[in-house]
Amino acid sequence: MLLYRAQRCAAVLAIVALLGACSPAERRADLGSEQGVLHWGNASEPQSLDPHIANGVPEQKILSALFEGLVGKDPQTLAPIPAGASHWQVSDDGLRYRFFLRPQARWSNGDAVTAEDYRWAWWRALQPQLGNPFATLLFVIAGAQQYWQQQHGDFDQVGIRVLDRLTLEVELAHPSEHFLQLLDMPTLYPLHRASIERHGNPSARASRWTHPGNLVSNGPFRLRQWQINRRITVEKNPHYWEAQSVALNQIVFYPTENITTEERLFRAGQLHYSYDVPVDKLRYYQRYHPEQLSLAPYLGSYFYRFNTRRPELADARVRRALAMAIDRQLITEQVLRAGQLPAFAMTPPNTAGYYPPATAPQQLRFDPAAARALLAAAGYPNGEGLPSLEILYNTQEEHRKVAVAIQQMWKQHLNVDATLHNQEWKVYLDTERRGDYQIARASWIGDYVDARNFLEIWLCASDNNRTGWCDPEFDRILLEALPRANSTAQRHQLLQQAEQRLLDGLPLLPIYTYTSKHLIHPDLRGYSANLLNQPLFKRLWLQPHNELGDE
Amino acid sequence: MTGKLATSAALWLLATITAVCLLAPWLAPYDPSAQNLLLGAQPPSLQHWLGTDSFGRDLLSRLLHGGRLSMLIGLCATAVALLLGVSWGATAGFVGGRTDALMMRVVDALYALPFVMFVVLLMVVFGRSLALLFIAIGAVEWLTMARIVRAQVRALKQSEFVEAARCIGLSNRQILWRHVLPNCSGPIIVYTTLTIPSVMLLEAFLSFLGLGVQPPQSSWGALISQGVETMEEYPWLLLYPAAALTTTLLCLNLLGDQLRDWLENSSPGGAA
Repeated sequence: MLLYRAQRCAAVLAIVALLGACSPAERRADLGSEQGVLHWGNASEPQSLDPHIANGVPEQKILSALFEGLVGKDPQTLAPIPAGASHWQVSDDGLRYRFFLRPQARWSNGDAVTAEDYRWAWWRALQPQLGNPFATLLFVIAGAQQYWQQQHGDFDQVGIRVLDRLTLEVELAHPSEHFLQLLDMPTLYPLHRASIERHGNPSARASRWTHPGNLVSNGPFRLRQWQINRRITVEKNPHYWEAQSVALNQIVFYPTENITTEERLFRAGQLHYSYDVPVDKLRYYQRYHPEQLSLAPYLGSYFYRFNTRRPELADARVRRALAMAIDRQLITEQVLRAGQLPAFAMTPPNTAGYYPPATAPQQLRFDPAAARALLAAAGYPNGEGLPSLEILYNTQEEHRKVAVAIQQMWKQHLNVDATLHNQEWKVYLDTERRGDYQIARASWIGDYVDARNFLEIWLCASDNNRTGWCDPEFDRILLEALPRANSTAQRHQLLQQAEQRLLDGLPLLPIYTYTSKHLIHPDLRGYSANLLNQPLFKRLWLQPHNELGDE
Repeated sequence: MTGKLATSAALWLLATITAVCLLAPWLAPYDPSAQNLLLGAQPPSLQHWLGTDSFGRDLLSRLLHGGRLSMLIGLCATAVALLLGVSWGATAGFVGGRTDALMMRVVDALYALPFVMFVVLLMVVFGRSLALLFIAIGAVEWLTMARIVRAQVRALKQSEFVEAARCIGLSNRQILWRHVLPNCSGPIIVYTTLTIPSVMLLEAFLSFLGLGVQPPQSSWGALISQGVETMEEYPWLLLYPAAALTTTLLCLNLLGDQLRDWLENSSPGGAA
């Protein structure tokens, strides 16, 4: 019965495919280019559009179109550029920042954006019941950490002061080189208080204020439509202070999780921009359409977490043996093939001038003999006695490929058996958070260009640690010594010390440093790749190529 | 005559494929999971008759080992379907009355469930193991079997030899086992041969969705699923596994059809 049904389905599909191939299919991207509608591949369905709840890269892209912080980033150099604030002053000791807001800045409903909107949004960001995963970013502000930990309940003690309607003063707990970069992150965007309070308790997670029609934003675009698992459409915000220079009329974000499908959509003229490129397609684009392929360094680390609470992985020698039995060079050059760099530490090299400890590549070098010796010393000569290991990863072709290669390397060099287990993105996140895994694929993409951002996830109390590894000395360096560093050189030295401790404990298996890979339609202009892979939507425009005499 | 020829060709082909797959550990030229990343994906050559995949693994070896798994799933899941379907259908048909009505409504209710959704749910809730895959697929496939067997049993229950058996004092169980079920074997065998390909297709479909067998093991379905991803760059990775699966399914279907024809012709009183 099922067989016949399947056959019938296959026949119908084949006919549809044939028809699709024969008829001149409507090319969404071409139409979009004419109408100023950008079709953007955005990987997955956003968890939420609440800037204090969302924490993934796809969400960040949509939010950056909807909202604007005090300071933006230059899309090429990532240097701070004026955004919500037209200019700012910094005190000589680097502790006091005064921001002067644009008088013409408006919310998407026409209300003026005021300094109080920022203060209220940051108050909301620090409400513990909201469970903001990025609340720790605000700890750079004097008194914020104490407020969040509920050591005092007085928000006035937090160093955020509204001097007048358009002037905001922020006092930091310690001088910070990356404070201005933080202001461009969703957690520090302003929020429209009245529209949020209209939909219930502002610090409740389940609120309808982010739904189309309810969401009020201050960025170049406003939310128009949200079809779950299909698309999110944002349209030009007529009240935006720089609306006259925003070229795009609409951006449509598509949650296409399968990158092979996404590439086909791109090739069929349905997208202007793809979130990723399948490995096997790279050669084709490099040879035939190099102008459509964008490969650029990306501030992100790809690694495996070891669950150190599991008895078989509790011994650091076992973890080190596993780390020394994989040939990263072979993985990056033969499996990934997009210029990724083999990684031997957590932090990508040259993160704002910082380099991981120089001994790291030697410590985690590919050395099967040394790895076998370590495994034997831990009581598993030739891998005997070690239970089978399971690698957990979120369903995606590239993760599977890396896992299959590593599985075989462990088998070949250590005689260790590993099985693979893939889960859908949200299920995988939940499994990992519950600690219900042995080895889990993971990555960390820089939120701002600073090594601390990569190391602080390994703090004992960090929600992103998830390995059970905890080193009080590592915590002390990051939390106590680092804020007191008074020069960049000293800061880097402390960061290296912390990273060295991390590599000694080894709750992770570094694999490679990311490269961002995208397919870009020739009509899309104004796009430039940057280290954080963050586009500035208001600077993008579309120029239909048939205007250039192309067919 | 041509039908007969096709059937015997199908039988021989199927026997060859089965034998080759069963003997995979001895026949496969390479270890199916041995990688050669430096080699990568290569088209068919003298060293690798069917080429290699992007990990440099020999496709022929993977195809043979994958076939073993596909056939194993085909047989095991069909066995589960057979066991469940025959016992359920025979009980309902033989007991009759309210029990029959109740049991068949259960089957109807299960029929109404979207099958694939049900299997996917099972896999997600209970995690993935090969045994569960057999059970899940079998649990989906037994319904039609139950209906066929019930209809057969109901028809046979009225026949004279059953009356005769009852007269000489045989118990219900004895009648069912010794007289009724052996007379249903024709349709059961036919339906079984048709279930095996349908199960293999379902496994291929589940592997295609990433819910079937896990790497480095592979089945034909898994190989096809991976082949589709790169069909433009490395067409041989899709072509050969697809050809193997299609040929096997075709052979099984031909065989099933022919068996049904034979049995229908040889039992004029058989109930439809």
